[in-house]
Amino acid sequence: MAQPRLILCVDDETVGLKVRQLLLERAGYKVLTALDGRTGIEIFGREPVDGVVLDYSMPGMTGGEVAAKLRCIKPHIPILMLSAYTSLPPEVNRLIDGAMTKGEGASAFLHRVSALIGSAASQNQ
Amino acid sequence: MNSSSFDRILRQVLIVPIVAVLLGAAALVWQMRQAAITVDKIELDDDRIALTLQIQKLIVDQETGLRGYQTTGDQRFLEPYRKAEEELPRAMAARRAMIALDSRRVEFTDFEQAHRLWLDGFAAPLIAAIEAGGKTDDLDLNLTGKRGMDDLRTRLANLNVLTGQKRAQDIAQWRRQVRNMTGALSALALVIGVLVGIYTRRRLQQVRTAFRESDNVLRMRAEEAFRSEQKLRTTLQSLGEGVITCDAEGRIETINEVACQLTGWSENEARRRPIALVFRLLHETSREPLEDPVTTVRRLDQTVTPTLQTVLLRRDGSELCIDDSGSPIRDKSGVMVGVVLVFRDVTMARKSQQALLANEKLAVTGRLAATIAHEIHNPLDSVANLLFLMDGNADPEESANFLQMAKSELARVTQISRAMLSLHRESRTPVPIDVKDMLTSILLLMESRFQVLGVTVQHVLPESMIVQGYPAELRQVFTNLLSNAAEASGSGGNVRLVAQAGSRPDPGAPGRAQAGVAIAIEDHGPGVAEANRASLFKPFFTTKGEQGTGLGLWVSQGIVHKHGGTIDFASSTDPEEHGTTVTVFLAK
Repeated sequence: MAQPRLILCVDDETVGLKVRQLLLERAGYKVLTALDGRTGIEIFGREPVDGVVLDYSMPGMTGGEVAAKLRCIKPHIPILMLSAYTSLPPEVNRLIDGAMTKGEGASAFLHRVSALIGSAASQNQ
Repeated sequence: MNSSSFDRILRQVLIVPIVAVLLGAAALVWQMRQAAITVDKIELDDDRIALTLQIQKLIVDQETGLRGYQTTGDQRFLEPYRKAEEELPRAMAARRAMIALDSRRVEFTDFEQAHRLWLDGFAAPLIAAIEAGGKTDDLDLNLTGKRGMDDLRTRLANLNVLTGQKRAQDIAQWRRQVRNMTGALSALALVIGVLVGIYTRRRLQQVRTAFRESDNVLRMRAEEAFRSEQKLRTTLQSLGEGVITCDAEGRIETINEVACQLTGWSENEARRRPIALVFRLLHETSREPLEDPVTTVRRLDQTVTPTLQTVLLRRDGSELCIDDSGSPIRDKSGVMVGVVLVFRDVTMARKSQQALLANEKLAVTGRLAATIAHEIHNPLDSVANLLFLMDGNADPEESANFLQMAKSELARVTQISRAMLSLHRESRTPVPIDVKDMLTSILLLMESRFQVLGVTVQHVLPESMIVQGYPAELRQVFTNLLSNAAEASGSGGNVRLVAQAGSRPDPGAPGRAQAGVAIAIEDHGPGVAEANRASLFKPFFTTKGEQGTGLGLWVSQGIVHKHGGTIDFASSTDPEEHGTTVTVFLAK
């Protein structure tokens, strides 16, 4: 039996996070959530996460900082950065595997997740 | 030389010659009197001589009569003799009275005796002899008579000679006196003339010197006055500001170059005109004509610096924004004798100020733009996701749930976007603003910014409080202040926003209080350093390095003042109790 991929969603926006979780779960993924960078990093270290969907503008630790930390822990796990800005600074771009803006739509989002992290139900690795 | 010394000199110059002349006249009179006395003496001498001659004549008459009688024996020939006989005593007495010297008197007495002798010894007997018919041609007798007569003649002649000599002496004396008089007088006249001349000349020279001096002084003063007037004129012309002076009636007396340029009137045209004709003012926004500062100064009798936004209407109808001020010109006793008006073209300055304001607005908006994008995209993203979910296989209950969530997110978007738009809405007249509503919406707008900064904002907004103002501008102020407070607080900090009704002393009416709203924004950041406090509200002052335009506080103060309010701040850098509180007071 195939294990559904585990995605870690980090976003300070409660509603947005919840809706994103619903969306991914309906698409077949397993989702863990964190409301801030610290918690996200902690979960990332602990759990067998297959991919991370990370919000860029967060209070406390920004998405960029979180990505840097994640890379130190498990560098090969794909990270998808979500932001309101159309372009991210180059030092952040280097750390991530992909970026997209919020508001491109749910199907585009799922498509991107599948491309970066893999479809929901696939063999591990 | 003052006028009293001049008067004195005048008197001296007048009196001295007169006195000299009077002295000369006195001397002349004295001399003449002396001469007159001498003339009297001469006349007396003449009288003496005349009388002596008369006596001589009478005596000769006697002799002639006697001879005639002797010759004819006719009584008729004795007439002269008898006549003389009668007159002689009187004449002799008169002559005797004229004799002054005793020795002469003795001589005269001898003469009288001699005559008596002739009369008694010769004449009378002869007459008697003739009357008796005797012969009288005896030689010795006649010789005696003749000798007697000769003696008389000699005596008389001597008398006259002596008198004549005396007369000659007297005349000589008189001549001498006249000569002396003439000489002395001439000398005196000369000397006095010279002395008076010298004296007068010296005195008048003094006057002339004094006159010259005062003439010089006057000329120097006139030159000084002229030079200083020129300097003043040049200074006035060189000023960068327009300067117009008016007399007490408000008519233009002087107008400098800059003022001519600014008003569009030339110096010749403007002079003597009433100021209100040349200096026409309008209110910048209401376009109402305003009273010119000169009239205001004349009315209030004090310096006037209007702070209204005034526009000068130039002669050709074009307009300039100006700052102006008028002051009374007072004479020594404090009476206003004119007004001086100074004004400056601030059109450019005002335009730049407006541009800066607009720029600041833009900057504020710009800074929020990023936050806004974030604010709008997040909810929209959720809405899109929810719709997707509903589109898929969601059961009705779930869908209803999703729908609610979507609605709620959209409402958020609308709120935020409205708040954003209101930043751009401008009103020309003040409108009632609910302070509570305004602050609430600002807090909403800035929510995510606060989150990014890691700052919590506490707010105490009790009830609705209405003030009159321009919403967009006030929002700008509070956004600015809250932003500053949040940035100063740093991550984990706390900002407190408190709005409450309050009052303060009315600046326009001393003793009265003004009701309004006091909005305090308090942070516990590092505080404002002592050195920076004075410059806080200056334009371009910033402690944020490149991030700050420095316009924020300056613009905020301007807006608050425009609303008739005040903005105060209290700050402490004390390590125990650091922080800053900014309080904005808006009148109701």
